Amino acid sequence: MKKNNIIKLILIIVVVALLVVLPLVIKNDSTINLVILVLLYILLASSWNILGGYTGQTNLGHAAFFGVGSLTTRLLWVNGVPFLLSFLAGGVVAVILALIIGAPAFKLRGVYFAIGTLALAQMLNLTVGNILPEMSYNPDLANYQLLPRYYLFLGLTLITILTAAILVKSRIGLGMMAVREGEDAAESLGISALKHKLIALSISAFFAGMAGAAFAYYHVSFYYYMPFGSEWTFDPMMMAYIGGTGTIIGPIIGAVFFVLLKQLLVWNVGEYHLIIFGTLFILIVLFLPGGLVEIWQKFRTFLTKKTKRRKKVLLKATIQNEDGIQRE
Amino acid sequence: MLNLENVNIFYKELQAIWSVSLNVQKGEIVALIGPNGAGKTTLLRVISGLHRCASGKIDFLGRQIEKEAPEKIVEYGLSQVPEGGKIFTGMSVLENLELGAFVKRARKEKNQNLEWVYEIFPRLAERKSQQAGTLSGGERQMLAIGRALMSKPQLLMLDEPSFGLAPILVERMFETIEKINHEGLTIFLVEQNVQSSLELAHRAYLLENGRIVGEGKGKDLLTFESVRSSYLG
Repeated sequence: MKKNNIIKLILIIVVVALLVVLPLVIKNDSTINLVILVLLYILLASSWNILGGYTGQTNLGHAAFFGVGSLTTRLLWVNGVPFLLSFLAGGVVAVILALIIGAPAFKLRGVYFAIGTLALAQMLNLTVGNILPEMSYNPDLANYQLLPRYYLFLGLTLITILTAAILVKSRIGLGMMAVREGEDAAESLGISALKHKLIALSISAFFAGMAGAAFAYYHVSFYYYMPFGSEWTFDPMMMAYIGGTGTIIGPIIGAVFFVLLKQLLVWNVGEYHLIIFGTLFILIVLFLPGGLVEIWQKFRTFLTKKTKRRKKVLLKATIQNEDGIQRE
Repeated sequence: MLNLENVNIFYKELQAIWSVSLNVQKGEIVALIGPNGAGKTTLLRVISGLHRCASGKIDFLGRQIEKEAPEKIVEYGLSQVPEGGKIFTGMSVLENLELGAFVKRARKEKNQNLEWVYEIFPRLAERKSQQAGTLSGGERQMLAIGRALMSKPQLLMLDEPSFGLAPILVERMFETIEKINHEGLTIFLVEQNVQSSLELAHRAYLLENGRIVGEGKGKDLLTFESVRSSYLG
């Protein structure tokens, strides 16, 4: 157990170190942009997973929080508010929006939250598109550099993963999982379902909003409504499912797998990649409900069973031997 | 200890419980028996704060609890084992038990209570790192009761602890309930298994179509004519 943890820690340090030195070694912009895209999706999938994977509440409007984060940060920044303040405002506004939609939607059980968030994202997408139809340009265009953007995404992603990892080990995390497993049972033990759902939603929305804020810092030009698009909900959600919901590593694996496969497919088959992704998603939900992480878990139990069986066989053999000796 | 006065409960427009009054005294085992659909589970849900009553008073240890949040009621020392146990199947046995000690009052004595629960159900100690979904029916029920005990309640409400258990396990379950009662815990039991629960309980109420239609000492009710004809044949 302890040995495993040390190996895990070393692996994490190596991966993080590699990511830190990567843009210094590979000075190719398109590679750095690709890694930024992966980091952005890890951010979105991991933050979605806090509510969707660990608390069992299906959020079909994650794009609303991502969008409102990017909108807030970009608007403030374009209008001369200092960057750091605009940046943090992205996350804060996302949390406020989350509480406004979450408090009434969670009071009703069942699908209301899923429908509510789906409608919220669509409404914001249309409203923002109508009110702010013009293209937004990065105010930092004159001395735009990729490196600080890369490190911002890297730092934010690490903070999100770390927060999620600490959260799920905490008392509140345990309560969140209890709510996912059975609301009635949780309530009967004195675990407030509403409270835990709102906490999970707020944290989830905060990091989605921060992802939007980083997006606003990174992107050279985009339409304000673009980050509200439903693909910003459904792609990260699919990544979480493909990797494995309710685990820390799942959304990370899912995002890496998804982005790399998508790049590969878009080059080769163009728009048809959507069909492949849809099929893949259905297959995973049907046959591998635990996601890609499940393959590893199954493999591990298979291994331990095998070693156990071998030990048993050995034990049996020695017992028989001893018997044999006694008889002689 | 627990006192219900003229409690009426509705599901939307449908009245499920009609003016029910009952009480549970400290140290007792009280059973609420009745057929399927009589409203037994509904009544427990209202006492736990999971559902609201339309009118009436519920008093627990001198506090009015009919409008309190479920977590407050657990905090006051009233804990429920829901129907079918409703254990968290995706989590380990130990995690399930830890969740039982979620409320503030119980958190401080968590380790102590864990020892106590393991003493009552040694099987749970053996299986503590196992996933709860892999437990057998009897072990699941033990876990559900153990989890409720983790909040160190003064009154334990059990919703059909014999649900889905083999007869031999039902007997053992009732022996365990008696043992817990001897340790000073008051017990309010809802059951369809009339014979066993009436033998176990000090007092019992008979609920039919949402109304209390009989009450008395457990053993007296066993000879009660309508109980005999309806439930024991």
